[in-house]
Amino acid sequence: MKQHPLCTDCEQNSTVMDLPIPAGLKREWAAIETRRRFLGRSGKVLGWAAMASLFGEAALHGDVHGTTPTSAPKLAPRDQLKLPHFAPKAKRAIYLFMSGGPPQIDLLDYKPNLASLFNKDMPDSVRGNQQLTGMTAGQAHFPIAPSHWPFKQYGQTGTWVSDLLPYTARMVDDLTIVKSVNTDAINHEPAIMLMNTGNMNAGKPCLGSWLAYGLGSMNDNLPTFIVLQTKTNAKENNQPVSSRLWSSGFLSSEYAGVGLRSGGDPVLYLADPSGVDREVRRNMLDAVEQINRQTLEDIGDPETNARIAQYEMAYRMQASVPELVDLSKEPQSTWDLYGPDAKQPGTFAYNCLLARRMAERGVRFTQVYKRGWDVHDNVTGMLPLLCQETDRGCYALVTDLKRRGLLDDTLVIWAGEFGRTVYSQGGLTPENYGRDHHPRCFTTWMTGGGVRPGLTFGETDDYSYNVVKDPVHVRDFNATILHCLGIDHNRFTYKFQGLEQKLTSPVPASVVNGLLA
Amino acid sequence: MATVDLRGLAVRLIPKSRATRKAWIAAFVITIALLLLPAIVRLDGKPHADWLQFVGRFHPLAVHLPIGLIVLVPVLEIAGAFRPPLREAAGFVLALAVVACIGTLILGYLLAYGSGDTGTTVARHMWGGIALAIGLLLCLLVRPTWSAGDFPRVYPALLACVLFTLLWTAHQGGSLTHGSNYLTQYMPAPLKRWALLGAVNAAVPNADSFYAKRIHPILDANCVGCHGASKTEGGLRLDSYEMLMKGGKDGPVLLPRRADNSLLIQRVTLPAGNQHFMPAEGRPPLKPDQIASIRAWVDQGASPDANTVAGVSIPAEVKELPLQPVGDYTKFMDEIRQMENSQGAKLLPVSSKPSDGLILNTVDVAASFGDPQLAQFEKFAPYIVEADLARTAITDASFETLGRFTHLRALHLESTAVTGNGLARLAALSQLIYLNLSETKVTAANLSSIRSMPHLRHIYLFNSPAQPAPASVAAPDHDSAQSNTRSTQ
Repeated sequence: MKQHPLCTDCEQNSTVMDLPIPAGLKREWAAIETRRRFLGRSGKVLGWAAMASLFGEAALHGDVHGTTPTSAPKLAPRDQLKLPHFAPKAKRAIYLFMSGGPPQIDLLDYKPNLASLFNKDMPDSVRGNQQLTGMTAGQAHFPIAPSHWPFKQYGQTGTWVSDLLPYTARMVDDLTIVKSVNTDAINHEPAIMLMNTGNMNAGKPCLGSWLAYGLGSMNDNLPTFIVLQTKTNAKENNQPVSSRLWSSGFLSSEYAGVGLRSGGDPVLYLADPSGVDREVRRNMLDAVEQINRQTLEDIGDPETNARIAQYEMAYRMQASVPELVDLSKEPQSTWDLYGPDAKQPGTFAYNCLLARRMAERGVRFTQVYKRGWDVHDNVTGMLPLLCQETDRGCYALVTDLKRRGLLDDTLVIWAGEFGRTVYSQGGLTPENYGRDHHPRCFTTWMTGGGVRPGLTFGETDDYSYNVVKDPVHVRDFNATILHCLGIDHNRFTYKFQGLEQKLTSPVPASVVNGLLA
Repeated sequence: MATVDLRGLAVRLIPKSRATRKAWIAAFVITIALLLLPAIVRLDGKPHADWLQFVGRFHPLAVHLPIGLIVLVPVLEIAGAFRPPLREAAGFVLALAVVACIGTLILGYLLAYGSGDTGTTVARHMWGGIALAIGLLLCLLVRPTWSAGDFPRVYPALLACVLFTLLWTAHQGGSLTHGSNYLTQYMPAPLKRWALLGAVNAAVPNADSFYAKRIHPILDANCVGCHGASKTEGGLRLDSYEMLMKGGKDGPVLLPRRADNSLLIQRVTLPAGNQHFMPAEGRPPLKPDQIASIRAWVDQGASPDANTVAGVSIPAEVKELPLQPVGDYTKFMDEIRQMENSQGAKLLPVSSKPSDGLILNTVDVAASFGDPQLAQFEKFAPYIVEADLARTAITDASFETLGRFTHLRALHLESTAVTGNGLARLAALSQLIYLNLSETKVTAANLSSIRSMPHLRHIYLFNSPAQPAPASVAAPDHDSAQSNTRSTQ
């Protein structure tokens, strides 16, 4: 039959018999394609479909009664979460993330015996059968590189601190230094994911998102979780830091971290364009919300809810963010403390100052990223730069929080994704050396609400290579952070893909009680 | 007035029958023996045969038997007034108590003699035990005349004396095993002042010294139980600096600047299970940081006045106030939500447990949250444990309202217009731990009214006129740090 040129309907009844397939297959098809078979299979399919609609919904949601209304996903599950599980010591946290892997041997993990072992090979027994990175696995020698900088004892605790960190040295009595943190990953991306999300693979929510989801906002006008990136220094080896580190994973995207830009406007297009006043803006948003609500009703995607919430948050941030980043009312004592760097947006000191202002305004979780700690070579050239950029900011932030009475209920965390090797990567000279990634031990510190000040926890061996006492796995580290914020990490779960997902992953983790106040 | 016919009294008190007379004689002999025991077998402070101690150490176990029996006697006597068979039992129980008491007394004596215990508390406990045994004997002898109806007051009076002696002796015994401050250590302060009538605080030369803050508490908690005024093992007392430096029968136990040669440090660092290990008798060993403190202090001269010892920090004294649970606010949830919607400020739960209370959070509406708004929340005051009023519009007028938020533990008033007028109202907040007055106009004079609040440990006055000393945050280390980093560029 010939088709009319204007008719778009397909009138041609093409069957299996017209397909270009072997004749044997066509015969087989003709033999089984009977009326009896059609009716029988239809019955089965209908039966399964009926059963799926009866039980499937309940099984998917883990709700045996199947009473969950699907049309309107809830925005605030907070009351059902019953969080915090117990009265927390810290209400908020500031995470100073030293991306790239700071060399613990040159900063806080003092190894005086290494000086006499300069350029000697590290004993094989120390490394064992560990697989190294491709960058040093081919090295014939693993020459020991003692730290280039002298250490001194500081504070009443007599904690050894490198001369690179003169400011950190002044607050050691307030710090909880953990020398025995260890991780599973030896490369940046998996290690930094593990540190942030408890899993090496992307797709899981990060610490900040878990906190935003579980503890909620203390300030409706600012995001619950804010990320500040420090401007990169071209002289440093900057590993990329991507937004999946502050992604909310399978949690609703309203719990994702909101990044403020490190230069120019902290949030783009925040100000209303000329000719658009607040009322016009409000009307526009109301109209958009109406459309979004319609979409939500039609499709039922909970992400639409997140979108509605984010539009509203952006509207409120138009007023709150300019106030947040307006440093003109800061007293002179602030600049004395943070130093001249803090006046320049995007520096680490500036971000520390913003972090303090956010803590004052009830931002639940602030994460400050500082890149460039990946010192594979030229340690003596790069490390002083890195320390100069960060040391004073860290000290200023802790001191400022402390004098303003905010450190009592704020947890401050300083950590990278792993440590660095005692042996030199590439050539070792008396003047310079490099250090490769090292997952077996690295040093972090915490201070503030929930942790015991003036404590050094965990010990590494003489080469700062293996943990010999009180190991703290990344999962344990995260469990401890959650504990300080009043959360039992084992009870804080979210069902996804059939698993009760949690920040500390399915592998058992435990709170490090020795770190707690 | 009739003169007391002593002889007649004795004649009537002591029945003439032969058996009872024998009993009186036996009791007399036992009494004499008990009274002479300390003179014959003197507690000389030296340990004796091990088997004495082995048997003697059953004393703390056995001691509870006579105590129970003795307490039972008056109970049975009183109950016997209503049910006569019980009174018959009382006589038997009394006899048992005498036997148990003398047996226990012997065990106790073996313990003291065997382990070489001396000291005032040991002596008191011993004499108490002896007095108790004699008193009980007397009770046993006098009781038949009492039940016969003669002298209705003698036996009850004797029994009362026995009970009092029991109480006193038992307390001395308890002080021996648990230490003399066992009862008073956690006694509420007012009760303590009343009970001890100001007879506290043995003079410590310098209350801020390292010795007073760190060394003395360690010794007091772990050693003074056996090496103190009440019990002085080995002639060594560790309850004051002078006694500590004087040492015991083997000479000084601490040699300034020679920690490793000091007997005290040697004895507390022996391997576990060593016969000479201190604290002895299975008491918990000193913690490594405690030993480190003593060692550092000795190595740096063991001075009574030095305030700091390099390398050792004194943990700040923390008196944790046990959190007082608040009532269950969940029944007001609807009202609370209404209030939140009308005022904009929120009441956030501290945790999922209602008894942890609520936090008044005003950050969203800080600029418009003033005194009248705060007053609105007063009806929830019993449930509010923390009030965040930072950067709000509240003024001094709110102190009166806040004084009625009696469950407050933390109060944020930073960057508000308060000047401290009426701050004294906060003295009513007995649980307040944290008060933030940073960037306010509060002056030091206004603070005097709240300085004496018992648990108010954290007062923040940053950038206020009351700030103790202007925080100078110059950077002296910075330049030196620069020179220390041997840059290779």
